[in-house]
Amino acid sequence: MSIRISRFMLGVLLLSILAACGGATATTAPGGSGTTGGATTSGEPIPLGIALAQTGNVALLGQEQVIGAKLAETYFNSKGGINGRPIKLIFQDTAGDEAGAINAFQTLINQDKVVGIVGPTLSQQAFSADPIAEQAKVPVLGPSNTAKGIPQIGDYIARVSAPVAVVAPNALQAALEINPNIKKVAVLYAQNDAFSKSETGTFQNTVTQTLKLELATVQEFQTTDTDFTTQATNVINVNPDLVIISGLAADGGNLVKQLRELGYSGLIVGGNGLNTANIFPVCQKFCDGIIIAQAYSFAQENDVNKAFRDAYKAEQKKEPPQFSGQAFAGVQVFVEALIALDSKTKLDTLSLEQIREQLNTQILAGKYNTPLGEISFDPEGEIIQSKYYVAQIKMDETGTNGTFNFIR
Amino acid sequence: MTDFFNTYGNLMVLMVFNAMLGLSLYLPLMAGQLSLASPGFYALGGYIGAVFSTKVFQSSDGAFPVSYVLLEMLVGGLASGVLAIVVGIPALRLRGIYLALATIAFVEILRVLSLNLTITGGAIGIFGIPQPFNRPLKYLYIAGPLLLFSMFFMYRLERIRAGRALTAIREDELAAGAMGINPTYYKVLAFTLGAILAGMVGALSAHFLNTWNARQGTFDASITYLTFALIGGSRTFVGPVVGAMLLTALPELLRFLGGIDQLPQSVRDLFLNGRLIIFGLLIVLGTIFFPQGIITPRLWERRRRTKAVRPAESNL
Repeated sequence: MSIRISRFMLGVLLLSILAACGGATATTAPGGSGTTGGATTSGEPIPLGIALAQTGNVALLGQEQVIGAKLAETYFNSKGGINGRPIKLIFQDTAGDEAGAINAFQTLINQDKVVGIVGPTLSQQAFSADPIAEQAKVPVLGPSNTAKGIPQIGDYIARVSAPVAVVAPNALQAALEINPNIKKVAVLYAQNDAFSKSETGTFQNTVTQTLKLELATVQEFQTTDTDFTTQATNVINVNPDLVIISGLAADGGNLVKQLRELGYSGLIVGGNGLNTANIFPVCQKFCDGIIIAQAYSFAQENDVNKAFRDAYKAEQKKEPPQFSGQAFAGVQVFVEALIALDSKTKLDTLSLEQIREQLNTQILAGKYNTPLGEISFDPEGEIIQSKYYVAQIKMDETGTNGTFNFIR
Repeated sequence: MTDFFNTYGNLMVLMVFNAMLGLSLYLPLMAGQLSLASPGFYALGGYIGAVFSTKVFQSSDGAFPVSYVLLEMLVGGLASGVLAIVVGIPALRLRGIYLALATIAFVEILRVLSLNLTITGGAIGIFGIPQPFNRPLKYLYIAGPLLLFSMFFMYRLERIRAGRALTAIREDELAAGAMGINPTYYKVLAFTLGAILAGMVGALSAHFLNTWNARQGTFDASITYLTFALIGGSRTFVGPVVGAMLLTALPELLRFLGGIDQLPQSVRDLFLNGRLIIFGLLIVLGTIFFPQGIITPRLWERRRRTKAVRPAESNL
């Protein structure tokens, strides 16, 4: 009996696989038309791919990016889309690994036939998936890939996220403004995270070369660690005036908490991995005072950022974080480049290959006024951003809610 | 159809890779040894492939020669084999859960090493690995024959003295020893064969993934490969192969189902966003309904028995 049941189950499984393969030809997007906000959009929507980590261990960051991208879709469609045609974002989850990013990119390029891709979340995933887009000649904008060498992957690869080497030193300058007597610095970083590793290199260089401070100790931890007593004790033993942490939200937050609990009272500079409201529940009242350099400030004064900030606040009841801002900017660059391209040659007269190719040239040529401020690209695809910011975390009395206060 | 191959070419290659990694874990399992070391050898092979193709072989522009890839796989396999013998002889003195723990430690040591060495590029790893093929599907030219060869090898292995010896050790190590089988020799043999296979797949996989870093071959991967063998079936080599292919394809299948426009939006959202929930659920259901795995030797033993019985019946 049990064998009969299992054979039946196997049959069902095989059938469902067959059915799935058979259905592969029957997916064409229906033409959409609608009236959203002030302007009317009609005609076949233009598909833009979004490949972000919606699941897996980087989902905390990926989900913030998804929110930003969705807000951009609504905002630009309400402004008339691409000269009247709506834009349609197609989301494919990359999860947290390389193979997932490759699968998502392939699906977007071949099945969803997108004109371009915003993603992936991690630099390591970008090293894996971007060459595929390069080979297929599909423009890619990295919304949060900050490692060295990303735009150099190919002609079609660009990013809206400034590399760590440019952003991070701003936080140290800000710390010195708060406390000019800083002499001894302790550095901690997550050894197994690509981002933290390159970020700590920048921090350490700035400390020793640019600012000529004493690098008293360098401690390593893992993003999966939960107990940081050893590292925290070693740090406190050298009695530093400033602690610099490069890690991700969960481990970084815990580390801050344990440092404070063990009695460290000086300034703390956090890396970009800590640059999210998701650390508030982790370090609670101990988050107070962490200084983080920002590529994005919600206080940035331009119309598009005001619209973005209002929309984000209406939906999420808090200030927008950098990851959402960058994802928004990624979509915006695509939309504005598409509009510029469409004004030159009507998009529906071009084949998908032509759109992808000319769109890439257009992206690199343009100047964009995004929530990040004025941005443009160098010929390799590296972002040129006019302004960077520094924020300090301020927690309320209960220690549950916090805000990023911009100090620079 | 071209679209289908363009979209799922990668997935097919991944399925074949994972099938071989499942086999590499199944080999020591044949001798009843729960070793989780495969990802370690996979990572080692990958680093060998990555370092050789970016630092040693300077290919002129254009496609990276396939012969170099094969050479890297050979080196990767050999290095993994040698390391497996060195590690295997002391480690395989341990049994059951202790062996599993020791092999987890081994994987962890390799990971920490690769994070700290400069040649492996630390946490960022090695990127810009040159491509031997212009389409991902073409990796099957190497991976396909390798899988077929290893399956044929396993098919033969299960039927010759060495394979029988492994089964004997699995069933009762003391009794096997009493019959004149040298358990250590055969256990190390199976462990080493598995390591060689994992090392070769690693070297190829480094090219396929374009980049290699310490996130490849971790403890998580050990558990994934073990799932391949458990869901597929751990009594015949077909089990891990089928298990690996099904489990690799399933999340992508659900992604695909979520993209069918004819389905109601709620069902599509469930498929897209609940992919991993469904995946987990199916694994739980799989272990309940197929405690021995999907593929068990009983499947074809029954067929053979009915065939054998029929002529006898006709004589009556």
